[in-house]
Amino acid sequence: MNDTMLNISSSPHFRQRLTTGAVMANVVIALFPATVFGIYRFGLHAFLVIACSILATTFSEFVFDFIAKKPNTLTDGSAVVTGLLLALSLSPSVPLYIPILGGMFAILVVKCFFGGLGKNFMNPALAARCFLLISFGTQMTNFAVDGVSGATPLAAMQAGETINIADTFLGFSSGVIGGSALMLLIGGLYLWVVGDITIHIPGSILFTFTLFIALFGGQGFDLPYLIANIAGGGILMGAFFMATDPVTNPVTLKAQTIFGVIIGLLAGLFRVKGASADSVSYSIVMANMLVPILDKLPMHKPLGYNNGEYKEREFPKAAVNLTVIALITGFALSGVYAMTKDKIEEQKKLANAESYRAVLPEADSFSFDDKITAAVEELSGQTYDEASFRRTYINDCAVGNAADGSVIGYVVAVTTAEGFEGNIGVSVGIDPSGAVTGISFTELHETAGMGMRVDEDVFKNQFTGVAAEAFTLNKSASSSADNEIDTVTGASTTSGAVVEAVNTALAFYRDHIA
Amino acid sequence: MKIKTFKGGVHPEELKDMSKGHPVERFTPRGEMVFPLNQHIGAPAKPLVQKGDAVLAGQLIAEAGGFVSANIVSSCSGKVKAVEERTVAAGARAVCIVIENDGLFTPAPELGTRHSFAELSEQEILAAIRKAGIVGLGGAGFPTDVKLMPKNPDGIEYVIANGCECEPYITCDDRLMQDKNRSIVMGLKLVLQLFPNAEGIIAIEDNKPDAIKAMEAVCIDEKQIHVQPVMTKYPQGGERNLISVIAGRDLKVGMLPAEVGCVVCNVATLHAIHLACLNSEPLMERYFTITGDALAQPKTVIARIGTSVAELIEAAGGVREGVVLKKVLLGGPMMGIALSDLNLPITKNNNALTVLAVDEVEQAERQMTACIRCGRCTRVCPIHLIPQAMGLACERHDLEAFKKLYGMDCFACGSCTYVCPARRPLTQLFKDAKAAVTAAARAETAAKAAAAAKEGNK
Repeated sequence: MNDTMLNISSSPHFRQRLTTGAVMANVVIALFPATVFGIYRFGLHAFLVIACSILATTFSEFVFDFIAKKPNTLTDGSAVVTGLLLALSLSPSVPLYIPILGGMFAILVVKCFFGGLGKNFMNPALAARCFLLISFGTQMTNFAVDGVSGATPLAAMQAGETINIADTFLGFSSGVIGGSALMLLIGGLYLWVVGDITIHIPGSILFTFTLFIALFGGQGFDLPYLIANIAGGGILMGAFFMATDPVTNPVTLKAQTIFGVIIGLLAGLFRVKGASADSVSYSIVMANMLVPILDKLPMHKPLGYNNGEYKEREFPKAAVNLTVIALITGFALSGVYAMTKDKIEEQKKLANAESYRAVLPEADSFSFDDKITAAVEELSGQTYDEASFRRTYINDCAVGNAADGSVIGYVVAVTTAEGFEGNIGVSVGIDPSGAVTGISFTELHETAGMGMRVDEDVFKNQFTGVAAEAFTLNKSASSSADNEIDTVTGASTTSGAVVEAVNTALAFYRDHIA
Repeated sequence: MKIKTFKGGVHPEELKDMSKGHPVERFTPRGEMVFPLNQHIGAPAKPLVQKGDAVLAGQLIAEAGGFVSANIVSSCSGKVKAVEERTVAAGARAVCIVIENDGLFTPAPELGTRHSFAELSEQEILAAIRKAGIVGLGGAGFPTDVKLMPKNPDGIEYVIANGCECEPYITCDDRLMQDKNRSIVMGLKLVLQLFPNAEGIIAIEDNKPDAIKAMEAVCIDEKQIHVQPVMTKYPQGGERNLISVIAGRDLKVGMLPAEVGCVVCNVATLHAIHLACLNSEPLMERYFTITGDALAQPKTVIARIGTSVAELIEAAGGVREGVVLKKVLLGGPMMGIALSDLNLPITKNNNALTVLAVDEVEQAERQMTACIRCGRCTRVCPIHLIPQAMGLACERHDLEAFKKLYGMDCFACGSCTYVCPARRPLTQLFKDAKAAVTAAARAETAAKAAAAAKEGNK
């Protein structure tokens, strides 16, 4: 009746028509609206960033498989997903080597070195993003497009500006390529409808995060504030696309909910208290690392083991031990720090003393005045009168004493962010009459042969001995007035920044010392 | 009535329409009939006939080989051709009685003696069931008389008639419930005679409205019996899930339903009980679905036990022209056994043949990737296990870890394998692991017994 051999296999003989490739393809489909919107909004460069990222991830995987003599795994589509996710979490203005390096890091270091698909313990795209944030902080957090500096909605809000909620929600404000909250929500909804994600992870993340921001964000249940926090800053991308990466989240739904709560709490904490520009990426990769423990929590009871007969799954002893050791080490370190803190401070001040002596050579020793120090601390990293001096900051202020202990002058340490190549640190000596006794640079990275020439005595000595309310920059002929400073030829930006810094020191002297 | 269901499970394509269309007819086999002596759980039966003996249809040819065992009757008349070892469906070797079918089906003299429901005592009911060689016809093949003799007959609160038929393709129970509704209820009433405190519940998936209607029609006047529709979902008919749904009680592996006050019988078993007790008809034939996309005329027939698979495939019109047969399953696609040889007999607990032109497993094997930990398996497991972690344990041959993850609770329903997007053969790994654990336990017991015997000899 039948000449061919019959197939033999163990049951079941039926399979759902779903493959790993299809699961990954669904993620790409879900990201499609955000991708298209990002390209439409930010133009060709955004497209190139996406293309470079995907090419880097797929090519890295191909090469790794080839070198490691493994079967080609490109068809599972996970490399494409990683590349796309990484690109969408980048600024549209990053140089193209950023997505390429990131893509290679994601696939080679995070995924392939740990055994490939299913074995990586961190979301490759997010790990790569963290790697890039640490390595290329400036490029990663520069959201300027076409020369227009763009503060992200969250940064703008932190600076006290009002933002356009609708623009933020739709994705018309500055931010990453895949930053449109609306498009991400559409994609997330799609994944939920097709059953690739359940509501547990995004739901618990967003709920916990919103609650945390409302309770501890300092603005209470202020709706625009909450919406801006949810729409901006990557929490939607994280909740719907990063944390739901099946490989790096727990297997059971209960553990997934705990996982989401942890992410929500961490992201909220980092958002409210953190110093980093990014709160979501770090919170998710940290939660990723907790997954092996979450997977072992004894929460999943088989049918029929409900009436106290359930034998607890083995308690994760090693994890608890590690936690205890980490806590003890942490306490020990902070104890040592507390004990040595004052000494370290003293050492730092001694080091500063050198530059102080340069600008106030007549002083025999330096001390600190509590009232002045308090004034410095109150500023705590904020700009000093930004309207007049742009971005200048008061770092420190020391009192110069004569041998008999009398005050013979002050040194104000200032940093300006307006240098041609970044920050310039200046120590300014001021005698009790308000005249400048000298200036010295503590930080200077200007262009050699041009901006760097402000460190020459010809330039610096122009300030010495002059008592003025403020100095001005003279860009043309030689100066006539004492308070006019001749610019270093071809370096008016640097010269101007230094003048502003000195003026800031004088203003501080007038406001808080004289 | 409210439709009940359990947590987990899958919704495979039903494909039941294929075999539904045709009216049920009795299929008359022509070739030799084969009766393996171990077509039930427990000890193999002991043959009562020898080569050359003449037998009649319904005649006892092998008797129960222990308490947990079952009689076997011939389903045809003819001459015993051989009592020999043959390969049976699962691939093992077993002693079989082979009968040359004379095509006359001359009945044994005692067949057809009528009894009335009222005159039968509990002992007589159990004796009739045992004599007829009835075992669980839903698939497990556990001797029914043993099942109906729990330690605590007064403690049984539910007798559940299992008419779920959750496997895709199969429609024989659906058909049986429509054609033999009175007989099933009569069988259920006979079983309820044994359990004074029990109520009878007929559980039927809601994709069989005709069967529900037919059964409800005959239950109207029965105070102790009612029909409970359950959601169409695989494996709704699994014993542990069904008890959980109907009685709200959960069993763990190794527990008998009687321990939680339940007895579960397939509707086909109840039909057989009725025939055995009131008509003195032993278990010779059953409703049997012959289906699959490779067949010309899929249908449900009344098939005689012992008929060869090849003959039944012909009964369903044979393989469609131009179709290359890929796979023949004894049972449905979720839990059925793939056959390598079509000259095998069907046994009491077989309910269907699924004849396929496309083997999805072949394709799945090509699409296999590493586990992506998506957790779908965990969400569908009807026993609430974590197949993902169990699979990893099996792959590294860690049987201890497998046991700690309650791997022995797995009843191989196949749901996890069905949904796995990485196409991993989870259920298959679990079956192997369970077999390995059982074999290890058996070896340990044997070693202990041997050591004890040695000690005794000293």
